[in-house]
Amino acid sequence: MKFGLFYELQLPKPYDGEDWDPDAERRIYHEMLEQVELADRVGFDYVFEVEHHFLEEYSHSSAPELMLAALSQRTKNIRLGHGITLTPPAYNAPARVAERISALDLLSNGRVEFGTGESASHMELAGFGVDRGRKKAMWEEATREIANMMAKTPYPGYKGEFFSMPERNVIPKPLQRPHPPIWVAASRRETSMVAARLGIASLGFGFETAEELGERTREYYQLLREECMPLGHTINPGLAVLSSLMLADTEEEALRRSANGPGFFSYSLGYYYNPMTGSRHAPGRSNVYRRYRDSAPEARAMLGGFVEEAELRRTEPGEEVQRALYRAARAQGSIGTVERVREHLKRYEEQHLDVLIFVAQSGDRKHEHIMESIERFGKEVLPEFKDRHETVHRKWRSEQLAGVEFPIHSSI
Amino acid sequence: MPKHDKIQNEELRGLIAGAYTSMRAGQGGDAVRALSQAYLRLLELKPELLGKRVAMGRGSMLAALRWPMLGANLKWESLRTGKPEIELVREHFAVSEAMTYYEYTVETALEVNA
Repeated sequence: MKFGLFYELQLPKPYDGEDWDPDAERRIYHEMLEQVELADRVGFDYVFEVEHHFLEEYSHSSAPELMLAALSQRTKNIRLGHGITLTPPAYNAPARVAERISALDLLSNGRVEFGTGESASHMELAGFGVDRGRKKAMWEEATREIANMMAKTPYPGYKGEFFSMPERNVIPKPLQRPHPPIWVAASRRETSMVAARLGIASLGFGFETAEELGERTREYYQLLREECMPLGHTINPGLAVLSSLMLADTEEEALRRSANGPGFFSYSLGYYYNPMTGSRHAPGRSNVYRRYRDSAPEARAMLGGFVEEAELRRTEPGEEVQRALYRAARAQGSIGTVERVREHLKRYEEQHLDVLIFVAQSGDRKHEHIMESIERFGKEVLPEFKDRHETVHRKWRSEQLAGVEFPIHSSI
Repeated sequence: MPKHDKIQNEELRGLIAGAYTSMRAGQGGDAVRALSQAYLRLLELKPELLGKRVAMGRGSMLAALRWPMLGANLKWESLRTGKPEIELVREHFAVSEAMTYYEYTVETALEVNA
């Protein structure tokens, strides 16, 4: 199993104020640079950064290509992932995406992971005029053609349902030929299976338990072997899931340092993605953090605080997306002592998970605590998993992929 | 072996098999039309699915409403009458949309041992 960091660039407003500190956005951008530089030094495999627009407090990461470009010059080995690029053409013209991905691949000496997706929030869809009912079709058409633009010389042109362009040679070409590994954001089980059918990796947002993941992994690889119709020119087999990270000397200290990280992450995500609240957000005026802190105790109990896993299973929502939010807020994830987190992660490893991606920067967590967690994880937990990845997981993967007739390009 | 082969009901399996063939041929529209028909047939065969609720926040929602709303849209009001209807808002569907409907329909059918 490999490990990565995941960034939304969260920035809660002050509880008692109407606006952020004037230096706050600069500060979190530079903190992320420091955190990823450290992660690279201690052996993390991936960083994934989202593209979101207008989701104040929840995500201030609207131009990940710039952050990843900066990181390409400050890091040596870590893979630089878009987690994800919004590919419906109204967000990003397909040729511009191909150009940016290729340029980043050259700058980073071939370290790009091309994550793709659609987004689902009212603020973003309505902000860019994207039809909610067609966004998946837009994603598919644009992502396929972006791969073609990187792979083909010249790109022969395209007349499609959502965009068209004449013959052009889209340059530069990426270092990773024909194109970097492709991923798709998957918040529902169906999308992970669509990913398998299209030969791309699934970047899961479901906060699945290790046991659920085992079933999903088996099915994903079976579909990939037996029913794949590749979207790109190479396939990228892989499943990744998210978990929250905070390490400390004691469980209590880890929970204290975790602060409102997972709770606010989940609350603000639910706030923007629920049409009832997301569509009523007052741009520049709402204070989501205050709303979170002031919400009724029962509502906060649903979204914040930690419980034993047995209770979690008794009370969690049945609806898949709601369940993911609930788990993001409540499941202890990778929060605790080194020993507890190591045992927790072994359960995912036993189910053959390819990549586990940590949300460390979230809510009002402190930079110094995130740095300490990254360093301790890299030095005290990561090495044994790295060894087993090379000796055990690679063998398992090659067995799963035996007989696959399509060319594979994957960093896993 | 495609996973719809595990569906026991012959008629339902046949409908989904037809959709699967269309999906594999890149004919998303044909696949989604067949899958919509299959889902409605599944709701007829297993009427308990119509009343099934899943927890959501502090309340719950009808499980049937988890059917993806990607252009083959389940009419909410039709659920109340006990005669569910799916409205196809266009002819053309992408392959990824058809795959999404396929996964949802087959998984639901297998969950209830149809």
